[in-house]
Amino acid sequence: MTAGGEALFAFCALVAVLSALGTVIVHSPIRAAMSLLAHIIALSGLFLLLHAQLLAALQMLVYAGAVVVLFVFVIMMIGPSVPEPPVLRGMVTKTAAIAIMVVLTAILAFSLMPVHMPDIALGPCLPGEGAECDQFGGVGAFSQSLFLDGLVPFELISVLLTVAIVGAIAVARGRSREEVAASQHKRDAQAKAAAEQGAREQAMAAEVSAHGGHG
Amino acid sequence: MGHLIANAWLRGLVHGALLITVLMTAVAWISWFERKFAARVQSRLGPTMVGPAGLLQPIADAFKMFQKEDIIPRGADSLLFRLAPPLTLFLSLATAAVLPIMPGMLASDLDIGVLYALAFSGLLAFPIWVAGWSSANKYALLGGMRMVAQGISYEIPMVLCALVPVVVTGSLSLSEIVKYQAAHHWLVFWPPGIGVIAFVLFFTTALAESNRIPFDIPEAESELVAGPTTEYTAIRFGLFASAEYAHSVVSCALASALFLGGWDGPVLPPSVWMLLKTAALFVIVTWVRWSLLRLRSDQLMALCWKYLVPVSLALVLGAGAWVYVVG
Amino acid sequence: MLSTYLPALLMLVVATVFAVGIFTLTSVLGTKHMTPEKAIPYESGSESDGANQIRLSVKFYLTAILFVVFDIEAVFLYPWASIFRQLGWFGLVEMFAFIGSLAITLLYAWKKGALEWEK
Repeated sequence: MTAGGEALFAFCALVAVLSALGTVIVHSPIRAAMSLLAHIIALSGLFLLLHAQLLAALQMLVYAGAVVVLFVFVIMMIGPSVPEPPVLRGMVTKTAAIAIMVVLTAILAFSLMPVHMPDIALGPCLPGEGAECDQFGGVGAFSQSLFLDGLVPFELISVLLTVAIVGAIAVARGRSREEVAASQHKRDAQAKAAAEQGAREQAMAAEVSAHGGHG
Repeated sequence: MGHLIANAWLRGLVHGALLITVLMTAVAWISWFERKFAARVQSRLGPTMVGPAGLLQPIADAFKMFQKEDIIPRGADSLLFRLAPPLTLFLSLATAAVLPIMPGMLASDLDIGVLYALAFSGLLAFPIWVAGWSSANKYALLGGMRMVAQGISYEIPMVLCALVPVVVTGSLSLSEIVKYQAAHHWLVFWPPGIGVIAFVLFFTTALAESNRIPFDIPEAESELVAGPTTEYTAIRFGLFASAEYAHSVVSCALASALFLGGWDGPVLPPSVWMLLKTAALFVIVTWVRWSLLRLRSDQLMALCWKYLVPVSLALVLGAGAWVYVVG
Repeated sequence: MLSTYLPALLMLVVATVFAVGIFTLTSVLGTKHMTPEKAIPYESGSESDGANQIRLSVKFYLTAILFVVFDIEAVFLYPWASIFRQLGWFGLVEMFAFIGSLAITLLYAWKKGALEWEK
């Protein structure tokens, strides 16, 4: 572990933690989204330090570049200054939340304890680490495992992406002009039928009242 | 690595300082060039007063920018409003770190250089959008939204077209791609047909990514005043302008490294070739700007999703098949 | 190997210093005569009520989701491009299948009118 690597790790970790906190604490949704963006970029810095340079680049391209854009657009669609919902959280909820958080953190920390900390370094791999360290996280190693070992999941991803598009279009598009026209037509017909029904009932009622009362 | 400066720390600092100096100087006089060029196109003279042929105009402009008042509009999100301009410039400059200027002369010879450049230039839409949103101005917000929508749409064909050289050379490193071209063919000619289409599409999407006409609907001055930068004054506005130029130049350099052989060329030294190619592409960018009209939003989106995306997908597959068949 | 990243990171630092320097300079040199009128957002003379109330069309959302999907696709293509020589014909076939199914997705979006900006 080199001094430069350590300093960079400390910096990225600090930014990651602070921006993660910012994402949940900040009131303005847009600021929260930007905080999330900072968090993602800091994470990709951490990936870089763990020798996973391809993952770092993909993190930047997909999460920072694409997913945050999606979040921002959704915020803009709902309206960035939604009036705050009334706070219903009392002391009990708050205490429970903090307790859950502490337990989760403890579980995570304990499960990570036996894990060997990978070498954090911007420097070259140490002689002892050999070819595996050089290969790990590089384009070659990544592609090998993706396109040979993980072929079926990879091809399934394309199906997943298709489903995502179909779902998004179904949610966002609303109905086409023909469908709108058809449903309008149907509603008109129903209204007409209802009106006719009403008229008929009225006529009948009038008839009943005209002739009625005699038993 | 065979680099001129062996120490990585020193190399980073020297390259950083050098690249920023060169780019910012270039940007200053590119603005002069563009004004002169526009003037010629429109039968005017352009800047003539400051220095011979107005050559000192950019310096005068810079001083003017520094002296202007820095205004933050009422209702603005002042933190994000302040952060946006430096971030824009930062991202345009960061992209330049992987550009090979000549053999053994680039800041970082990353084995994922192409992805690095695309990732940073893809992030560029953010600070501009943030500028638009934080201004508390409807023009700015609309401009920002258009900017992001256009930026993300055109990023897809851009990323796909940049993939064609990667498929042919089998490397993600920009310097490897240039070396391949120096040893074999320039990728604009190779694979025949596919290469030249990929180059033209890449160049087109680069225009869109840096908001140049015909893709400047985000800051359409006749309807949105100045788009996302409407509320910006003084050097903050100047930073946006120079970041846009810097991004343009870096995109041109990227296009020449990916398709036009980078520093490869006869007689002249390699770095001169790289500069010449970049400059030639930038002249075309300027030429296009003063010749074409602005596309409407719907035309822009249709062009991207209905033409560029399918064509660039086909290009990638075509290049792959070519590599198998021809080698 | 990773020492290759150090210069790029340092460049980012230099770029930051440059940006900060420019702002310090302008805060020293710039004029300071603020009046309330100057802070009014410019919306061609009409009184602005800020931009926070705008809610944007669902079109933007659709574009974003299309972008996410195709960005992920393009990103998968990069590692493929770097090793598909070693995979042989099989590699080309699996990529044809992958891109083919996404081309169908694009076609579907097209047919459903998700690619039309204005309707």
